Amino acid sequence: MSREETTLRVPFLLDMEYRYAVGQYGRRFFTELRDHARLMGARCPECERVYVPPRPVCGICYRELHEWVEVGPEGTIVGWTVVRLPFIDPMTGEQRPVPYGFAIIRLDGASTSLYHFLDETDERKIRVGQRVRAVFREKREGSLRDILHFRLLEE
Amino acid sequence: MSEWIVRQKIRIPFHYTTGRALTRFLTGLAECRLWATRCGECARVYVPPRSFCGRCWREITEWRELPAEGELMSYTVRPADPPLILGLIRLDGADTALVHRLGEVKLEELERVVRVRAVWREDRTGSILDIAYFAPAR
Amino acid sequence: MPRRVAIIATGQTKHAARRLDVNIAELITEAVTRALQDADLTMRDIDAVLLGNMEPFEGFLFPELWAVEGWGGYMKPSVKFNTGGTVGTTTAIAAYYYVASGIYDTVMAIGFQKQSEGHTQTAITTVGDPIWERSVMAGAIGNFAVMATTYMHESGVTEEQAAKVAVKARRNACLNEYAHLQMPDITVEEVLRSEMLAYPVKRLDMCPQSDGAVAVIFAEESKAQKLCPRPAWIKAVATAHEQQYMGDSPKRLAEMRSLIAASRRAYQAAGITNPRKELDVAEIYEVASFAELAMYENLGFCERGEGGKLIDAGVTELTGELPVNPSGGVLSTNPIGATALIRVAEAALQIMGKAGRRQVEGARTALATGYGGNAWTDILILSREKP
Repeated sequence: MSREETTLRVPFLLDMEYRYAVGQYGRRFFTELRDHARLMGARCPECERVYVPPRPVCGICYRELHEWVEVGPEGTIVGWTVVRLPFIDPMTGEQRPVPYGFAIIRLDGASTSLYHFLDETDERKIRVGQRVRAVFREKREGSLRDILHFRLLEE
Repeated sequence: MSEWIVRQKIRIPFHYTTGRALTRFLTGLAECRLWATRCGECARVYVPPRSFCGRCWREITEWRELPAEGELMSYTVRPADPPLILGLIRLDGADTALVHRLGEVKLEELERVVRVRAVWREDRTGSILDIAYFAPAR
Repeated sequence: MPRRVAIIATGQTKHAARRLDVNIAELITEAVTRALQDADLTMRDIDAVLLGNMEPFEGFLFPELWAVEGWGGYMKPSVKFNTGGTVGTTTAIAAYYYVASGIYDTVMAIGFQKQSEGHTQTAITTVGDPIWERSVMAGAIGNFAVMATTYMHESGVTEEQAAKVAVKARRNACLNEYAHLQMPDITVEEVLRSEMLAYPVKRLDMCPQSDGAVAVIFAEESKAQKLCPRPAWIKAVATAHEQQYMGDSPKRLAEMRSLIAASRRAYQAAGITNPRKELDVAEIYEVASFAELAMYENLGFCERGEGGKLIDAGVTELTGELPVNPSGGVLSTNPIGATALIRVAEAALQIMGKAGRRQVEGARTALATGYGGNAWTDILILSREKP
C-alpha cells in the first residue's frame, strides 16, 4: 500500500445537547451560592475530610456525608497555569478565548480543591501557595459561574 | 424533589478519513458509477465496498461496477411533511444492502415497490447524497 | 490458581499525525496483520478479541462496530473497553485475565485511535465534569500544566530538566521505525523556546496527537512455549483508581496516589523490592515531560524530589542504569486508545529481544504503565522468567 496515497475526508459536526442533573449535593451547594454567596463543603464523619465539590460519599472511607460546613471564600493556589493554546471549546464548537488564568484552589476549610479561573494572565505574578479570594457575581443564577473568578490577594 | 438540570452542548467538528475502498466508491458516485468489491474467497460482493473481508480475513482487490438498480428489501417512514422514507436497497449483483432515501413514490404505493433505481443529482460532489434518492423502477 | 500467561506477538502501524491513506478499519488491519505474522498465526487461531479505543475522538459512538471487519471480530467473542488514557493497559490486563482464567487460550488485545479525525483537546475537555470542571478545563494540556506547577513547587524540578526528558524521547524515537515524532537534532534549548501552551508546558513538552493501532497476542503456557522462542511472561498486573474530581488528589503529580498504590502492589506480586535495580527497562505513560520526572519519583525509581536529578545523571537514557521509554514513549507517539497498549507491546519486545536498535541489552524484567482518566493507573510487569 502506498503511504503517499491520500483518501477522501468527509466533514461532520457533532452537535448534541445534554441535560445534566446537578444532584442533591450540587443542589445544596448551588442554592447556598446563589442565595447567600456562600461556599459549602461536605465533611466525612470518619476521616473528617471536607469535600468540595460536595458529594454523597467519601471515596476513601466509603462513608455517607451528611455534615455541611462553610468553606472559603478565601483559599490557596495548589496549582496554576495560564492557558494560551488555541483550542475549540466543546461547549460552543468555537475557539475558546485565550489567554485565561486557570488554577486548582484549596478553599479555606476544604480538604480537596476546585478548578476555577484566576483574574491574572501574567505568569510572573502567579505562584503556588498564593492566597486568593472568590469574586462573586452580583446577579447569581445557581452555577459555578456565579463565581466570576478568583482574585489574587496582596501579599 | 424538583429537578435541577444544567443544559450544555457538545459541539465538535470532525473529518472522517474514508479509506481506500470508500474513496473509489465516493469518487465513482460523482461520475454516476457504483463500485463494489468482491472477496476472492467467499465471493461476497460488498456495497459500500471495503478493502478487507472480515469473515475470511483477507484483503479484497477485485472491483466490480454494479448497475444503479436493485431490489427494495425493506423501508421505514419518518412522519414529516413531506414524509421521509428510508429504504434498504440491494443493488443487483451485491450481497449487502445500502440505506438510502426513497422518492417519487406515494406512501400507499410503498407496499408494492419491488425494484428501485438511483436518481442522480445534477451537482455531484463525491458524496452518498450524489444519489438524490432511489425511485421505483418502471 | 490463575494460569501462566505470556505475550507471544505484537504488531504496530506506522504511527503518524495523519494517516489519510487509510480509514479506521484499514488502520487496525495493518497492526493486526503484523501481529498475526509475528506469531505465524491466522485469525482462526485467535479465540477472542479485546478492543480498546477512547470515544469521542473519532466523533461517533462504536467506532469498533464500523471497523469490525478490520479487527477480526466477526462472530468472535469480543469486548470493547474505554477507560481513557489507560484504555490500552486495561485491554492488556483484561486479555491477561481472559487467558489466566482458563476460558480462552489465545487472545488478541487491540488498541487504536485516529486522532486526526477530530480535535483532541476539545474531546478531552469533555472528560471534565460538565457542572464543576468543563468550562475552565483546557484538555490534557491544561490539566498537566496545573499539575506541573504543583510538582515544580514541591520538588524543585526545573523546566530545563523537563526539557531533557522531551529530548530523550524524540531521540529514542529515531530508533523506532513505528514512532511518530522522530527528531534526531532536537535540543534542550529548542524545547525551552517552543511555543508556550500553558505554563510551564511548551509545545515540545507535550505528546503529539497520532493516528495508530497496535495488536498484542496473549497465550497460555503450552501455546506460548510452542509458538514463541522467548515469550514475555506476565509476572504481575495491578490497577488503581483515584477519586472523581480533578482537584481531589492533594498534590497531583507530586504525589500520584494511584500510581504509588498500583506499582507497590505489582512490585510485591513480582517480588521486586528495589525497582531501579531490579527492573531492566520501563515503558511508562508520560503524557508530558514533567509527568515523566514525577513518575520516576512515584514509581520509586528515586527518592521524592529527586526526579530531576535522575534525568540529569542520565540514569533513564537508553544506555543508563534503567532506560525509560527507549521506544520514544508517549511524547513521540500518542494514538490515545493504543498508547498504553504500545507501552505493553514495547516492554514485550524488550523481553523477547526483538526491539531492534532500541533494544536494551539483556533485558529480563520490564515495566509498562498506563495513566489516564482522572489519574487512574494500570501496571504490568513482564519477565523472561516464568512467574
